[in-house]
Amino acid sequence: MDNQYKLLIIDDNEEILSTLYDYFKTKYNVVTASNGLDGLKLIEKEKKGFDLVITDIVMPNISGIGIISIVKQKNPDTPIIAITGWGKYPELLAIEVQADLVLEKPFNLLELDRHVAELIKKTIRPQIHTDERR
Amino acid sequence: MGPPLIGVSRDIVRIRELIDHVAGTGLNVVIYGESGVGKEVVAQNLYQKSPRAGQPFIKINCAALPEGLLESELFGYEQGAFTGAQRKKRGKFELANKGVLLLDEIGDMSLPLQAKLLHVLQGSGFSPLGSEKNIKSDTWIMASTNNDLDENIKNGKFREDLYYRLNIIKIYIQPLRKRPEDIPLLIDYYFKRYSFNLDKKDIKKPGKSILDRLIKYHWPGNVRELQNVLKRMLALGSWDKIVDELTSGHHELDSIPSVKTYLETPSILTSDLSLFSLKKIRKKAIDSVEKEVISHVLNETGWNRTKATKILKISYKTLLYKISELGIKEKK
Repeated sequence: MDNQYKLLIIDDNEEILSTLYDYFKTKYNVVTASNGLDGLKLIEKEKKGFDLVITDIVMPNISGIGIISIVKQKNPDTPIIAITGWGKYPELLAIEVQADLVLEKPFNLLELDRHVAELIKKTIRPQIHTDERR
Repeated sequence: MGPPLIGVSRDIVRIRELIDHVAGTGLNVVIYGESGVGKEVVAQNLYQKSPRAGQPFIKINCAALPEGLLESELFGYEQGAFTGAQRKKRGKFELANKGVLLLDEIGDMSLPLQAKLLHVLQGSGFSPLGSEKNIKSDTWIMASTNNDLDENIKNGKFREDLYYRLNIIKIYIQPLRKRPEDIPLLIDYYFKRYSFNLDKKDIKKPGKSILDRLIKYHWPGNVRELQNVLKRMLALGSWDKIVDELTSGHHELDSIPSVKTYLETPSILTSDLSLFSLKKIRKKAIDSVEKEVISHVLNETGWNRTKATKILKISYKTLLYKISELGIKEKK
């Protein structure tokens, strides 16, 4: 039985991506992408949507701003945490496209963990159990 | 309807994939790449695959117009807004409503205009020159550049806030020389298309050795140069001549403006077809070849015209006439 919440983490920095994956995989069902396009493909594939998305903002091909816009368009209830290290403009844009939280790098992993748990709790989502699949 | 994005390189396959996934989003796009690499083709492909296909696709070159003119072109003006504004004119933003506006060479846009563009992108609309009316536009903005916009930001020539707002989707097209595996397909596609349009079905496709040389050539003008080479080959009827020119570093296209002008016509299908009159093309091509050959022989003979006539097997009178008509000058 798998009723873990499903997280998508997108970051073009390999080190950050693997750190976040290793940290969150113990509590959540985590999938990752190292660029916006691969992240978008995962979003499109995930019919029920993710329970939370963590995305870097400045990335090649599709920026985190694009990812946030697309996810919010598809599933407005999906909480999104944007992470940025490029100053105020990416941050302002992330807020404009309705990111639920913007964190600046370097960020505290425990703090991120807390935010993830809070945002998931706040979102009213039906629990998807594999044995309930028809 | 523009040409497809042709290629089998990882780069081009990835770009086609990106286009398929983002064409429906309407998110701002910036397309990067050297001149002639296919930036407009990418823009057209995005447009054709989007819900806006069929709506206007308007392109404007930000480098080609002085600032004042660019502003009035983009935003339009009211009658009497300035000297010469004899009637109201709708700007490109208005004309591209519900469609696409492609801002080519956006790196060359002045800072004041960048501020106005930012305003529009922020959803605040714009006012035509001389008008108090504020117009909101529903336009999908794409931009293209062969500049490094990051550098322009560092030099204070490009606004950082505009940069981040525009670069939601970033597409970088590699120069042709870095993806040689795409060259045979491009040659195949454009060769078929041009030989059909020019009714030159009897000319054969390039053989292996010619193709190898074309693949190894560095294509500074990228796909546009490849298109011009193919058109020229079909006009002259000989692969060897064209490839020899390319690989010897000797470019007819650079030295003779008249040849360059007609060969840079963007598309055979949409251009003035009289430019492709074979009689005209033949004359221009022959002139360019004659100029090169005569110059070469004259230089080799130290401009001894009598010797030159013997080598070229033409009369003295004809030689003098050619020197004058083709503008052949002695190199000092």
